[in-house]
Parts: sequence; structure tokens; C-alpha cells
Amino acid sequence: MSVNQQDLDPDSTTDMEDVTNAEEELIKECEEMWNDMEECQKKLSLVGTETLTDSNAQSSLLIMQAKCLTAELSQWQKESPEIIPLNEEILVTLGKEEFQKLRHDLELVLSTIQSKNEKLKEDLEREQQWFDEQQQILESLNVLHNELKHQVLIFSESRIFGELKTKMHDIKEYKEKLLVTLGEFLEDHFPLPDRNVKKKKKKKNIQESTVQLITLHEMLEILLNRLFDVPHDPYVKISDSFWPPYVELLLRNGIALRHPEDPTRIRLEAFHQ
Amino acid sequence: MSVLRPLDKQPGLNTATILLVGTEDALLQQLADSMLKEDCASELKVHLARSLPLPSNVNRPRIDLIMFVVNLHSKYSLRNVEESLRHVDATFFLGKVGFLATGAGRESQCSVHRSTVVRLARTYRSPLLFCDPEVDGFRVPVAQRLVRMLQICAGHVPGVSALNLLSLLRSSENPTLEDL
Repeated sequence: MSVNQQDLDPDSTTDMEDVTNAEEELIKECEEMWNDMEECQKKLSLVGTETLTDSNAQSSLLIMQAKCLTAELSQWQKESPEIIPLNEEILVTLGKEEFQKLRHDLELVLSTIQSKNEKLKEDLEREQQWFDEQQQILESLNVLHNELKHQVLIFSESRIFGELKTKMHDIKEYKEKLLVTLGEFLEDHFPLPDRNVKKKKKKKNIQESTVQLITLHEMLEILLNRLFDVPHDPYVKISDSFWPPYVELLLRNGIALRHPEDPTRIRLEAFHQ
Repeated sequence: MSVLRPLDKQPGLNTATILLVGTEDALLQQLADSMLKEDCASELKVHLARSLPLPSNVNRPRIDLIMFVVNLHSKYSLRNVEESLRHVDATFFLGKVGFLATGAGRESQCSVHRSTVVRLARTYRSPLLFCDPEVDGFRVPVAQRLVRMLQICAGHVPGVSALNLLSLLRSSENPTLEDL
């Protein structure tokens, strides 16, 4: 199994003498090999044939393959490599062929790698673009996120604050309005007795009330304040400045209550409880 | 009963001959055409046959590689191949025989199970290839493989013999020792 001489074209077209010599040498070698082959062929034709059946196929084939492999192995070990005749022309031709093959292969490799390179460059560009876009998106999203975060905080705090403030303000206003309305109502409908009404009554029957009478409004205020200042003892002593008819009015209508043990003390009914 | 022998004649100069045995003519023709389209350093000759034994009156060159083509859609082709195997000399099976199974792609139409063909190839210790010749994409690589195998079996590749190729092809298959 030496170099494949059958591939070498023996019809080279140069006319130098040593070329024809080389040619003749090669042709002679080829002829010798062919004769060897014919002899082997003759020997082979003497070997009998043998066919296989399914049952014995595997085992007989395995044995045969093993034998042949060992024979081949020993052949390889025995053989020493032959070299082609060291003629310059032959070597040059062979060398040229080898180099041509090499060049062809390298060109293939080059073109493949180049196209791969280009594709990779394109991919890289595309990925870079995509990456840049993503970065931009990320940045803008971050900015947006920060703004929103800020807003949410401030917004919620200030809103609650504002709401409470307005609520309180409204309530205070309402309270003021109520008090004003109450005061006006009481003035209109429950005025203090005028001293001049004493005309019809004799001065002797009227007790000299030197104490200044307070209005119903003020009375209610006293009761109210007492109720909220001292919740556990909301009782107020009926003083002379309370006009008795109004006291009676409050008691009869359930707005004020007497102290259970002391008739001189009254309190405001706790409507809020 | 003429039996096909591997090295019965002198080889032609720089020629390699393959014999495709199978019942489907169109299939074999397609495969033969794809193989001949491949450019290769040696001259290729493709012979097609329905079954063995071959008619003895024809003068034909030495056969370097036999591929038995089994169509998985028909049991008849399998039986035909099994019959033809009896007319092949035992020494052919040292790497110069291969099995090609077609039609494995359409599982629903397979009347021959894949494992049957696998077992057949294992019994005869030969490589098994799968191919769907209708699909162009499959046909060309299989044709290339066959051309390469043929070159080696004809001895055109220095340093590799048919038996070596056989050992190389076997290593990827069943590493477990099944029914021996």
C-alpha cells in the first residue's frame, strides 16, 4: 500500500529526455505491480466459495473478520514504505499537485471564515444597536421611576395633610356658625326680662334682685363648659344670676337635669353620649 | 446457483463498481444518478439489479461494493433481499456489503419495523444506512457517503482497506453484546 501511482498521469507533455526516462521508469513499475496482481488473482480464483445462512452468519463472519484483520495487521507490520523514484520531474509534478490542492483547500477555508466573519460583524452590530436601545429605555424608565416615586410620597403626605386641614377648618367654621345661630335664636326667642315690665306689679311684691341676670345663652355656656371641663362632676350650682323661669324651662324640656340629692345643682344633659 | 465473489476478476484501471440490489427501480435509479453526479477522482460504475443471482451471460466488471436496498414500506423488498443474500460469497461481508433502508421517515406506512433491518445488518456484520431518496436534502449526503465507501472498497484510498472501514463504522453502533 504505497503511494497511489495509478493516479499519476503518465502522459506528461514535455519532451525532455529525463522526462521520458522517468515515464518509462514509472510505466515499468506499474507493469510490475499489475503482474503481481495477476498472480494474486490466479491464487484467489483457486479458493472455494462459501455462502452464509442467517444462523451461522454472525459467528462465522466474526471469526473471518478477526482472521483477516490479524492478517492485515501482520502485513502492515512487515511492509516497509516504498518511495517513488526520486526523479526531479516527478517530484516537481507531485509537489505542484499537492500545492494546488492545498491552495484550493485554503481558499475554501478563507472564504468560509470571511463569510463567517462578516456574519459575526453584522450580528455584533445588531446586538450593539439593540443594547444601546435597551440602555436608553432603561435610563428613561429609571428617570420616570424616580419621578413617580417622589411624587407618590409627597403627594400622599400633602394630600392627607390638606384633607385634614380642610376638614378641621370646615368643622371649626361649622361650629362657629352653629354657635352664632344659637346665640341669635336664643336672643330672639328667650330674651332677658326687661326691668321696665315691673310697671303693673307693685314694687313691694318684687324682690329686689340686685344681681345682674345672665342671658340664657350664657347659662347654657356655663353648663356646657362645666360638662366638658369636669366630666365626672358636671353640676353647676344655681346662682341668683340664673333667671328662674329659664331654669325651669331647661329642666322641664330635659335639657338640664337636677342633681339627684341636691336640688340646687343642675347639669346639662349629655346629648353626645 | 452462481455466487457473487468479491475478487473474481482483475479490476479496471481507476474504476470502481457498485451494485445496488433492490426491488424499487425508481429509487435505485435516483440513487444511481445522485452518485454519478458526485465528482470523484475515480471512474464510477453503477449496476442495478432486482435480485441475485445475476445473469451469468453478461460481461461485467468486478464488483467492489454491494448495497442491499430495503424499502421499509414493503415486506416484499425485505424478503427479496434476504433471498439474494444467499447468493453472496462469505468473503464479501468483510466490508464490501452494506444495507440501505429507505422510507423510515413516514412511520405510518412502515410495514417492516426498523429493528428488523437493524437485526439483519447486525447478523451480517455490515453497516446500515438510512435514506429517503425523495427528499433531495437526504439523497445527496447519502450518495456522497456511498461514493466514499465505494472508493475505499475498490482500494483507491491509500492506507484504508474495506475491513478497516468496517471496524471504523461499527464503533458507534451497539456497544452492548447482544445475542451472539
